[in-house]
Amino acid sequence: MDIKFNKVGYIYNEKTPLQKEILKDLNLEIKKNQINAIIGKSGSGKTTIIEMINALIIPTSGSILIDNCFIEKQSKIVNISVLRFNVGLIFEFPEEQFFNSTVEKEIEFGLKTFNYKTDEISKRVSNALKMVGLNESYLSRNPHTLSNGEKRKVAIASILVFNPKVIIFDEPTIGLDSNSKNNLMRLIKMLKNKYNKTIIIVTQDVDFLHKFTDYIFVLSDKKVILEGNKYQVFSETELLSKHGIGVPKTIEFSSKVFQIKDIKMGYRDEINDLIKDIYRYAK
Amino acid sequence: MEDILIIKDLTFKYNDNYIFDKFNLTIKKGTWTTIIGPNGSGKSTLIKIIMGLLKSDSYIFIDNMLKTSDNIKQIRTKIGVIFEHPDSTFVAETVMDEMAFALENLEMDKKEIQKKVKEVARFLNIAYLLEKNPFQLSGGQKQLVALASILVLEPKILILDEAINRIDYFERNNILEVLSKLNKEKGITIINITHDIEEAVYGDDVILIDKGKIILNGSKELVFREEKVFNSIGIDIPFMAELSLKLMYYNLVDEMIFDMDEMVNKLWI
Repeated sequence: MDIKFNKVGYIYNEKTPLQKEILKDLNLEIKKNQINAIIGKSGSGKTTIIEMINALIIPTSGSILIDNCFIEKQSKIVNISVLRFNVGLIFEFPEEQFFNSTVEKEIEFGLKTFNYKTDEISKRVSNALKMVGLNESYLSRNPHTLSNGEKRKVAIASILVFNPKVIIFDEPTIGLDSNSKNNLMRLIKMLKNKYNKTIIIVTQDVDFLHKFTDYIFVLSDKKVILEGNKYQVFSETELLSKHGIGVPKTIEFSSKVFQIKDIKMGYRDEINDLIKDIYRYAK
Repeated sequence: MEDILIIKDLTFKYNDNYIFDKFNLTIKKGTWTTIIGPNGSGKSTLIKIIMGLLKSDSYIFIDNMLKTSDNIKQIRTKIGVIFEHPDSTFVAETVMDEMAFALENLEMDKKEIQKKVKEVARFLNIAYLLEKNPFQLSGGQKQLVALASILVLEPKILILDEAINRIDYFERNNILEVLSKLNKEKGITIINITHDIEEAVYGDDVILIDKGKIILNGSKELVFREEKVFNSIGIDIPFMAELSLKLMYYNLVDEMIFDMDEMVNKLWI
């Protein structure tokens, strides 16, 4: 599924005294069947972008092409429901939206609303549950009594039942400890490799995303200021810091070495590789 | 060093489930302690008990006073808590009024209030925000305002309850620097309750709790040597601690170093 932003602008509360420009002439092309990340400070327009991909808000200028769906201010959107079935959006703290008494009811809720047949529902629910790595015994449990990591899996499963082609995660690691973060990372990788999903992650957690992201967009000053794979993006430490964005710890360390001692150690994602470099260059 | 907070044999039940069973904790005056634990380990319950928001009959001494139901108001003036969502505590339309609010309730003289507010604002470098509406600030600025409104009351202990969790990278570093200044220059005891292990790098001591029990307790240099214990409950140790441990293994350094500049200078003399 293609997602392409063409000179997209967005003005919040347009033509009122409270108007505020969030995005300006933004161009962006999401990479198909890959893990894409959008990073930037809060207020840089990250959430606006993902709401646009779901057509929850419409650009005030420019256009967006999502699959065969063309979105711009002047024209009526055709096939908006198809679009929303194809794009699954997992909000920040999705578990705060739970309102059912069992995991099963929580996951099947969306399908029931759209009048799916009973056996189709149960097939899709058990499939989604398997995808997120929970067994059938969870179905009868109260979602509010689960651990944070499990809650998030249930929230993800309730989106997967629709079999979306694109899955968007908004700040998925907030409130998770290291273990749950690693589980989430494995799950996201599997969604890409095994099920060919296109993934979009919006986050500030650079240490999390640099371990497995294929392509990164850096958002600042209302547009994309830098894009590329992690090597291309995170080697621009100075530019990123100027825009208030941190880099992964391993990179921060090697750029400190370069800054203080003028020694170039290269790009390392793993702490063990960093150690090898230090062993080679130190003292 | 004198103890500023002592909790003895704390037992607390919630719906027949023991959150704490004979829990003991001592915090020394003027220290910065990071309390870390996985989700659901009892961290937030602990703060509520200390503040008297949840009832318990255990012995809790705060600044040499035994907490009872009669002196809870007095106890609360000694402790300031900053929560994850500062918005929910804001009441005024300007930062100035927000900071003055508690002092006005204490019927402090107007001139004194002005003086105090300005002094704290200067200390935190937020004088430029005084005329602004607290609800319209960035996440980091909001937390600084929440901090300022507590500091005017001159608390002895500052508790942060996942307070820097959702804040931008650079704003977060700024707040941690400010806290460090408060701790060193004003001697305020800081208790930072968090699940983000990297924040522990800023403090002195680390307490690891899980299922209502203290698993590890001590200086960060000692506690983070127990990497396996952290990993066994699903927590990674901070980056600099992990790096130090590995470099110690190869005899490249001989102690834990938490500051990156210091580490680089040690490795390349």
